Amino acid sequence: MLILGISTSTKQVGAAIGGHEGVLASSHSARGKRHAENLAPAIDFVRRQARIEMADISAVAVDVGPGLFTGLRVGIAAAKAVAHALRVPMIGIASLDLLAWPVRHTSREIVAVIDARRGEVFYARYRPTPGGVQRLTDPIVATPDDLRADLEANDFDYLVVGDGGLRYADELDGLVGLEVAEQHLAYPSAASLVQLAHAKAIREDFVQPWQLAPLYLRPPDAEINWSTREGLAPGEAR
Amino acid sequence: MLRARTSDVESTRSLAAAIAAVAASGDLILLAGELGAGKTAFVQGFGAGLGVDGAITSPTFTLAHQYEGRLPMHHLDVYRLERFAEMDDIGVSELLDGGGVVLIEWGDAVAPALPKDYLEITLTYGEGDDERQLELRCVGSRWTARERVLAEQLEPWKAA
Repeated sequence: MLILGISTSTKQVGAAIGGHEGVLASSHSARGKRHAENLAPAIDFVRRQARIEMADISAVAVDVGPGLFTGLRVGIAAAKAVAHALRVPMIGIASLDLLAWPVRHTSREIVAVIDARRGEVFYARYRPTPGGVQRLTDPIVATPDDLRADLEANDFDYLVVGDGGLRYADELDGLVGLEVAEQHLAYPSAASLVQLAHAKAIREDFVQPWQLAPLYLRPPDAEINWSTREGLAPGEAR
Repeated sequence: MLRARTSDVESTRSLAAAIAAVAASGDLILLAGELGAGKTAFVQGFGAGLGVDGAITSPTFTLAHQYEGRLPMHHLDVYRLERFAEMDDIGVSELLDGGGVVLIEWGDAVAPALPKDYLEITLTYGEGDDERQLELRCVGSRWTARERVLAEQLEPWKAA
């Protein structure tokens, strides 16, 4: 079983192909907001490097966020399109899970943190377990100060991983037993995605393209008050 | 609150270009006003002021258009949106973080989903058919710090 993985929830665009034999090919680029331009060539590149045809792919895995909206929209739309065209099922995995996975060999509690922009972060806490990580909290959106307060309230040693941790390293500075993982671990990787998705694929833990939705954590899904759209009479004061 | 008056659509465009002259990377401008009030014309003038080449058309059905000028300009129209969550798909904060100016037609309606740092411009019909009245409201530090500069730029269109 070969899986195509697509991750675009941060400034990094990642595509990878893998299966039983592990990751056969992967491509990652983080050169600023070119998700729409970079993704399709990246998919074609990994396909050629893996020396397979698109028809050999039997599932499409995608990073469903939380993350940057424009990136997520591109990645999820592309993943759904490929899955539809190939008539294969999909696997959605949270961006924060993908960040925590590569640091699973730590003995610390893991905090995966993505820069949500606008002075906020998305984060979740994880515990390393044999062979993987276990998510302890639902992903939430918070300010770096809230994150610090949350971590201060517990007595664990933490490994913080992700671009949000790096951006707000100063805000987290001075917390006892806290370490921030380095830059090369800062973005969710498509290689991790393929590995995690493979474990799910073995259990046939699939979703159909129309069932898969991005994990947007903000803002509340309220209806826009369109009284203004109907228009005020000309000259009427607001 | 600053007020201005324009005599026709060309004059609305010139006024917009004058505001573009003091725009900076990361600026957010909300355009309010009913259909035909001149929101798109404002963006056209603003784009010309930034040195954007070529035609600027309404993004009502495409949601967002991007142009390259002195600063990148993102022209958004949220008229077709129904829920605030749809604002997520546009990614305004990312556009602002990425540099450039973001102008949103009907932006007043989605203000709760936007950073509290913007210039809100409301266009209303004046006495003559082509005349428009503009109200400019600075919200947040970026624009309040420039309110005086803005007033100077608007001097030629000062409302009586």
